[in-house]
Parts: sequence; C-alpha cells; structure tokens
Amino acid sequence: MVKRMSNPNKISFASSTKNLSLLRNFIEAKAIEFGFDESPISQIILSVDEACTNIIKHAHKYNDEEMIEVEIQTDKSQFKIIMKYKGNGFDPNNLNSPDMKDYFENFKIGGLGVPIMKKFMNKIEYVHKNSDYNYLTLIKSLQA
Amino acid sequence: MEEFTINTKQQDNIDILYLNGFLDAHTSVELEQYFEKLLADNKYKIVVNFDKLSYISSAGLGVFMAFIETARNNSGDIKLCAMSEKIYNIFDMLGFPILFEIYKEEKSAIEKFS
Repeated sequence: MVKRMSNPNKISFASSTKNLSLLRNFIEAKAIEFGFDESPISQIILSVDEACTNIIKHAHKYNDEEMIEVEIQTDKSQFKIIMKYKGNGFDPNNLNSPDMKDYFENFKIGGLGVPIMKKFMNKIEYVHKNSDYNYLTLIKSLQA
Repeated sequence: MEEFTINTKQQDNIDILYLNGFLDAHTSVELEQYFEKLLADNKYKIVVNFDKLSYISSAGLGVFMAFIETARNNSGDIKLCAMSEKIYNIFDMLGFPILFEIYKEEKSAIEKFS
C-alpha cells in the first residue's frame, strides 16, 4: 500500500522492501527539484534506502502492516528527509562504524547501512517522541 | 517496480553473471539464491559483470560477502568487473577492494582464473 499525501513532499508506504524502488523514485524527484547534482542525488537516494531498509528489517521485522512516512523539508541550503515510524527505533549516531580491516578478514555480513549514511549525509538526527513514534532525519547540505 | 535480472554464461569452467537493473534489499534475495545454487553445484569460479547494473545498496554488497569465503575455500573466487564509476565508488568507499578483485574488463577477470 502506498499513500500519496495532500502534501506533495510527503509519502507514506507499507513497510516492505518491495516499496524501496518507489521510495527511491520519490527521493530522486525531490532532490532534483531542490537543485542537487547527480553525485549528491545518488548519495541521498542510497542513504534513505539504507535507513528505510533498517526500519523495515529491525523496527518492523518485515511486518508490512506497519507503515513508514517520509517527508522532505527544505530551506535555502539544506535538504532534510524525515522518516516517521513506529516500533523499536535506534539512533544511528550511537552506532560505531565497523573496523573494515576486521570486517573483511572475518568475512562479516551486514551493518554497512549506517556507515554509508554517515559518510554521505551531513547530519543524522534521531528523536523518539509521543512514546510511540520514532523520527529519523537525514540532512544533506547543498554545498557539501 | 524497478527490475533486477541476472543473465549467465559459462566459459572455460567459469560462471559469468551479468547483473542488470537495481540491486537492493528486495532484489538481492534473487542474487543470493543464484549464488546458493552455484555453490551447491560445486561451481566456485565466478565472475560478476556489473556493466548493466544501475544501483546497489548494502544488501547487494552483503551477498558477495556471504559467498566469497566458500568460493575461495574451494579453490575458486568471486571476481567483480565492469562497474560504473558510481557503483565502484560505493565498493571502494567501504574498502571492498581489500578483499575482492575488481577489474575494469570482464576479459581480465576471466584471465585471472587461468
């Protein structure tokens, strides 16, 4: 299920990996509209994909009855993607990036979504409020 | 929905996989199943051609991590080739060239098996 909201900068979709392509198309359109070049657009799309994949996998345990709401907010210099979701949230800022030498020596799998987000976005904010909802915000600056 | 397909070819006892489209947490399951089948059939010499791949997320990267150890333990390898600059930058940023052989051309990847 996908809901286009009355606000054109907002989209709401069932928490399923099936909807990642739709999410990427939405983010791409908004990032182009904002005026980013190709490289930052690719970085934003991948970061939001990684964030929502983590929500689908960890917060919702692949339960597609859960929903994810994504809203774009912009000002002159910043592009913000706010993901609102229920369930067990977590703050990516609290997760240390893996030691990649150790990662490859021991053939580890997973855990690369957060390092990608941290590398490609200028700021990550996480808030848990109303005792129910988590808000994860990824911020990209225009001149970064 | 954006599509992902795998085309394959066998050459000199090497399986070549041609990835096409978008490789994310949804479509990576198909690639994972394909690798499982190859290894179950004792096919450990694998070249993956990225020429037609438009997008990869960490779920896609995880598939290569999941199978390279088994391939190498059986005198094989998973060699990667023909990546666009955009795709290569993601592999490179995370340090994948430490573990994986990545070639510009498919021919070079195949030759390294001989």
